[in-house]
Amino acid sequence: MMAFYFSRLVEIFPFFLKGLWMTTQIAFISLFTCTILGFVLGILRSGKNRIIKWLIGVYVSFVRGTPFVVQVFIVFFILPEWGIQLKAFPAALLAMGIMGSAFICEIVSGGISAISKGQWEAGTASGLTLIQQLRLVIIPQAMKVILPPLVGQYVLLIKDTSVVSVIGVMELTRVGWVTVMRIPEGLMVFSLVGALYFVISYPLILLSNYLERRMAI
Amino acid sequence: MIEFKHVNKWFGKLHVLNDVNLDIDPGEVLVICGPSGSGKSTLIRCINRLENIQEGEIIVDGVPVHDKKTNLTKLRADIGFVFQQFHLYPHMTVLQNVMLAPVNVKKMSSAAAEKISKEKLTQVGLTDKAGAYPAQLSGGQQQRVAIARGLAMSPKIMLFDEPTSALDPEMIGEVLDVMVNLVSEGMTMCVVTHEMGFAKKVADRVLFMDFGKIIETGRPDEFFDNPQTLRAADFISKILTH
Ligand SMILES: Nc1ncnc2c1ncn2[C@@H]1O[C@H](COP(=O)(O)OP(=O)(O)O)[C@@H](O)[C@H]1O
Ligand SMILES: [Mg+2]
Repeated sequence: MMAFYFSRLVEIFPFFLKGLWMTTQIAFISLFTCTILGFVLGILRSGKNRIIKWLIGVYVSFVRGTPFVVQVFIVFFILPEWGIQLKAFPAALLAMGIMGSAFICEIVSGGISAISKGQWEAGTASGLTLIQQLRLVIIPQAMKVILPPLVGQYVLLIKDTSVVSVIGVMELTRVGWVTVMRIPEGLMVFSLVGALYFVISYPLILLSNYLERRMAI
Repeated sequence: MIEFKHVNKWFGKLHVLNDVNLDIDPGEVLVICGPSGSGKSTLIRCINRLENIQEGEIIVDGVPVHDKKTNLTKLRADIGFVFQQFHLYPHMTVLQNVMLAPVNVKKMSSAAAEKISKEKLTQVGLTDKAGAYPAQLSGGQQQRVAIARGLAMSPKIMLFDEPTSALDPEMIGEVLDVMVNLVSEGMTMCVVTHEMGFAKKVADRVLFMDFGKIIETGRPDEFFDNPQTLRAADFISKILTH
């Protein structure tokens, strides 16, 4: 029976590859947008404007204090109440974007606050604009602190894409669910699902370990 | 060149600058001393607007520093600032440190910026350290790079906030030598320091502060040998025994 299911599994393997492709898309589109948004928010959070800082603080606390699956439901089910109707795929990207940017914002503002006030002042005193100070002086130094946890966060984001299966996005985890209805070999099916996740996250884990070691010096 | 008119500043309830009036001439070398916490750093940090003020006016070379319309980039490009803790950029080489503002603020070509930066490094005696990173230098060398970094902008004014206080005693001399050398070039300088030897040698005027107030000003020999106020006398006796 095992052998039969295994050959069935091999037959529908292209279906898994489609799921993997969907997972990869969600993961990398959101990695990209979360990185940009997270840096912007993280930089604003280390700025001087109290209102902006407070707003970002509230947002970050909300994201950290609620389960991601609930955030996905909010985006998918509550937004339509306000007239914003999203299909599953954009809703998934939006939810990932909201969640991921909050965590990256924290990492970035942590990295920036690790740089001494004197570095800003040296830049200010020599006439550099705020943007130049960030670009030339602060961010290059902060990257040492930011990079290892950032890549670690990427791995988490890739894994968190599995949550958007709850709103019907046909990504890897959902492919697993659907398959297991027809091939009742849960262990076999989800081992395959797990292995495919591992394929995309492992290179990042290696990168994260490498950066951790390099930055520690 | 630098004019303080009834300048008042508070940090919360702390009255850190109390009705400061001051006029510094072009080419003048002013030494500022006083007990820790008396507002010396704050005073010179106001000159390039690292600090804001609540009352009064500061005018640098005709420009009202704390006016909303003042072009701060231009103002700061003309004022070099040397910090007690150097604050070199650790991720850049010595040469890159010195070139950064000429290229990005003055928009010099990198060839022109490199030329002037190397000249300034030669002036502070560090020609051979252009490719080194700050962490590879001694404190005295780092502070000399910081001075070169300020000079590379060809400033009209140099401000020094206790430039030798973070240094091991054997390195103080090399930094003071560079500063003395600057004086002979006619640079307008405000130097917060307790180095009496330096003050006596090159200062035109010494200013003594306490509790945010200018208590006494005078020629260095007069000030150190014959202070007019009790507080100044007390302070001088402390730095002498120290
Ligand atoms: N950013 C700040 N916020 C609040 N208080 C400050 C700040 N900077 C300096 N002070 C206070 O102002 C006083 C004067 O400081 P400062 O100008 O650094 O003195 P000095 O350089 O003479 O030692 C000190 O009591 C110091 O604690
Ligand atoms: Mg000070």
